[in-house]
Amino acid sequence: MPAIPLHTAVSYVAGAYLVFFALILVYVAIMATKLTRIETELSELTDLAIADRAERDPPKVTAAAAAAEAGGLSGDQPKTGALAG
Amino acid sequence: MYGKGLRALSITTALIMTGAFALAFFWAPEDADQGFSQKIFYVHVPMAIVALCGFVAGAGMAVMHLWKRDSRWDMRSYVAIHLSIILGVGVLVTGSIWARVSWGHWWVWNEPTLVSFLIIFLLYCTYQPLRFSIADPERQARYASVFAIVAGAFVPLNFMAVRLAQQYTHPRVLGNISGNLPGRMEWAFLACLLGMTLLFVTLWKYEMTSKHASSQLRRLKRLLGEDGQAKGRRTAAPATREAATPV
Repeated sequence: MPAIPLHTAVSYVAGAYLVFFALILVYVAIMATKLTRIETELSELTDLAIADRAERDPPKVTAAAAAAEAGGLSGDQPKTGALAG
Repeated sequence: MYGKGLRALSITTALIMTGAFALAFFWAPEDADQGFSQKIFYVHVPMAIVALCGFVAGAGMAVMHLWKRDSRWDMRSYVAIHLSIILGVGVLVTGSIWARVSWGHWWVWNEPTLVSFLIIFLLYCTYQPLRFSIADPERQARYASVFAIVAGAFVPLNFMAVRLAQQYTHPRVLGNISGNLPGRMEWAFLACLLGMTLLFVTLWKYEMTSKHASSQLRRLKRLLGEDGQAKGRRTAAPATREAATPV
C-alpha cells in the first residue's frame, strides 16, 4: 500500500493525537468539577461544625468584660488614682 | 489513602509521556509502507492494550471483591472499568482515523480486530446502566462484580479468537505474523506503552482519591447529622464500607 502524501497524513495524525489529549482534558475537567463540589461541601460542613461548637460551648463572659459593662471601665485600663499617685 | 505519592506519579507520567511521544515523532523512523500516518500507531495501540488490560484488571478486582467481601475492591474495579471505557472511546476514534488514512474507510465491518474491540466496548457500556438499575448497594456491587468477571474473561478469549482468525488485514504489532517492529520503532512503542500504563494508573489513583474523599465527606455529614438528600439518592458509583456504615 503506498504511503499517503505527508500533508494529508499530518492532519489525520494531528486529529488522532488531539482526540487523545481532548479526552484527557475532559477527564481532568470532570475531576476538577468533582473536586470543586467536594471543596464546597467541605466548607459547608466546616461552617456547620463551627456553628455546632458555638451552640454547645457559648463564649464565656470574663470578669473584666462584666466589669466594663457594669462600670464602663475595662480591666486592662490603668486606674486614674494610680496614675496620679 | 489513595493520594499518597500522587504528585510524584503525575510528574513521572507527564515526563514519560512527553518523552515517549517525542521518541515516536523525532526518533522512530517513518514507516516505509504507511509513511507519516503510522505515527497514529503510537497512541492508538498502547491505548487499546491499556484499555483491554484495564478491563481484565477490573475483573481481577471484582474477584477480590467477591472473595474478601470488601466494598473497596468493588470501588477499585468500578474505577478501572470506568477508565478503560474512556480509553476505549479514544481507541475507537483514533482507530477510525487510522483506518481512514490506511484503508480509505472510517470503519471496516469485516475486520475482526475492529469489530471485536467494538463488541467489548459495547459490552462494557452496559456496566454502568446495570449498576444504576439496582438500588440496593450490596446487590449492585455483587452483580457488578459478576458482570466484571464474566466480561473480563471474555476479553482475552476474544483477543485469542481474533489472533486465530485467518484474515490479517489489521497490522500485527506484537504478533507472530510479519508485524514485528524494527528496533527504534519498538523502543518508541514500548515507551508509549509505559507512558499510557502510567497515565492509567495515575488517573485511577486520582479517581480513587476523589471517590474516597467523597465517601469520607458523606460519612462526616452523617456524623454531623446532615445526611438528608445524599442517603436516598440512587447512583451507579459504589459506596465504600466506611461511607455505608451507619453512624
